[in-house]
Amino acid sequence: MEYDTIIGLEIHVQTKTNSKMFCTCPTGYFQKEPNSHVCPVCMGLPGALPVPNKRAIELCMLMGLATDCTIANEIYFDRKHYFYPDLPKGYQISQYKNPICSDGSVTLPNGFEVKIERIHQEEDVAKSTHHTSTSESDYSLIDYNKSGVPLIEIVTKPCIRTAKDAKDFATQIRQIARYLNISDADMEKGQMRCEPNISIQEKGRWEEKDGKILPIGDYELNPKVEVKNIGSITAVEKAIEFEVERLTKELGEGRKPIQQTRGWNANKNITEFQRSKETADDYRYMPEPDIPVIEVSNDDIERIKSELVELPHEKITRYMNDWGISQYAAEVISASRKDASYFEKLQTLLFEKLEAKIAAQEAANWLMGTVFALEGDKEIDMNDLSLLIMKFKEGKITKGKAEEMLKDCISNNKDISDELDMFEKSASDNAGNIQDIVKQVLDNNPKAVSDYKGGKEATMGFLVGQVMQATKGASNPNDVKNILIELLK
Amino acid sequence: MKIDVKHTAELSRITLTPEELEKFTPQMETILESVTLLKDVNTDGVQPMKAHVKFDELREDVPQESLTQEEVLRNAKHKEAGFVKVYGKVFGDIEES
Ligand SMILES: [Zn+2]
Repeated sequence: MEYDTIIGLEIHVQTKTNSKMFCTCPTGYFQKEPNSHVCPVCMGLPGALPVPNKRAIELCMLMGLATDCTIANEIYFDRKHYFYPDLPKGYQISQYKNPICSDGSVTLPNGFEVKIERIHQEEDVAKSTHHTSTSESDYSLIDYNKSGVPLIEIVTKPCIRTAKDAKDFATQIRQIARYLNISDADMEKGQMRCEPNISIQEKGRWEEKDGKILPIGDYELNPKVEVKNIGSITAVEKAIEFEVERLTKELGEGRKPIQQTRGWNANKNITEFQRSKETADDYRYMPEPDIPVIEVSNDDIERIKSELVELPHEKITRYMNDWGISQYAAEVISASRKDASYFEKLQTLLFEKLEAKIAAQEAANWLMGTVFALEGDKEIDMNDLSLLIMKFKEGKITKGKAEEMLKDCISNNKDISDELDMFEKSASDNAGNIQDIVKQVLDNNPKAVSDYKGGKEATMGFLVGQVMQATKGASNPNDVKNILIELLK
Repeated sequence: MKIDVKHTAELSRITLTPEELEKFTPQMETILESVTLLKDVNTDGVQPMKAHVKFDELREDVPQESLTQEEVLRNAKHKEAGFVKVYGKVFGDIEES
């Protein structure tokens, strides 16, 4: 039996604000004393009134604008009820029927378009840790510092078909969040959480309509599995692959899968059963009566739009189309806003001397070949780097020597322009006696000389190399070649 | 009006005995029935009564001091090392029916 894999993703992202979603408590809870960033609002005390944070909503809209969503002109909040100690009010303020952003999409590097159903604003819950004890009953310890931190939820349509695309989508969302400073989106710190839902269906027996998976004829759809506790982008792919294999095996053995929530175990690289979901979640949504309807004008949306910057996938296309950069290099360079900006500035500097395309390709070659590998915490001074690259382009220094100099300057804290000056000085010292050196080399290599004269032109490379070595690289290989040709006539 | 009080109780993590269920169900149904009287009111053309606020008037993102940990924990029945302590297995101690 052949199956199709059907994947939808829910991604939660904590957005980067100073204060919480509905109160003025500070958000930075990481490694803080427990329950030190808590007030009556985020503690859910009776009578406390939630007051929405403007910046948080702007960041939600920004994510929506970056993913081509429609932004609502009226914002409504709703209460989502469930009972759990990490949710002190007994409900989470979220959005039900009217999310801030809807109907967006993201195009993956392979060209596949992931449809986004919605992005809505909500609040994070408290952090609870569970403990077992021999002297008393099991208990949980709760820290409400995280309670009320702004959280957005990005929900895709069930349109993803491969684990790799799911991973690429999550990667792209993380990149966008970081580029636009919406969130640091560090999955290990819980700033971004991915929850895929997965099912496999018999080929040709289902169809997708308006983001819903529907059976064809009398086919009965297989239920979906939700996977939680995924702590990294790679685990998104691995967890889905594991589930697809598990579900395929289960169906192959004639067992019907059940609707369930499973947890990813990163140590064992498997998913584990958490709970079955025989009934639909019953959250008893109701409009949040404590928050007024928020009116968003088109001017508001335009203002937020001005925060958009060119996004990685746009940069990749531009680097490839305008400058002929390889896809791989374009992807690596645009992965972080910092690297992309370094690359573009370097291109601009080189563009003063070189043609735009050549400038971009040189910049990319140097970043990919040397600079990224060398750069630890220290950033290489861009003016020095462009100077070095130009010396190489002018044929004043070989690539090998230039890279060696760059490495030496980085690891020994030397100044590139000083080193270049010294190098050029010794090069010009050499220039005076370069004729002598070349003659010396010819005397020492009679066989190569006769080979060359006998028509083996490839010997020229060897002779140039010998001269370069004798001058410790401080000469221009083209000049050397010309002198050799002259003397060998 | 029929309501499933058992399900509602489970959602709120409240355990009810069969006797309690039998007692509460008609009581809650009566309450809901009286509320449904509102459904008979003709609201055609009546705007929903909901306050509006302009986006620009929302709260600026400026943090202020929170309560002290001591104040936060004052209402907690159990506490440990600055945390609120709750007993009971959190997963699955009440099965959803
Ligand atoms: Zn608070």
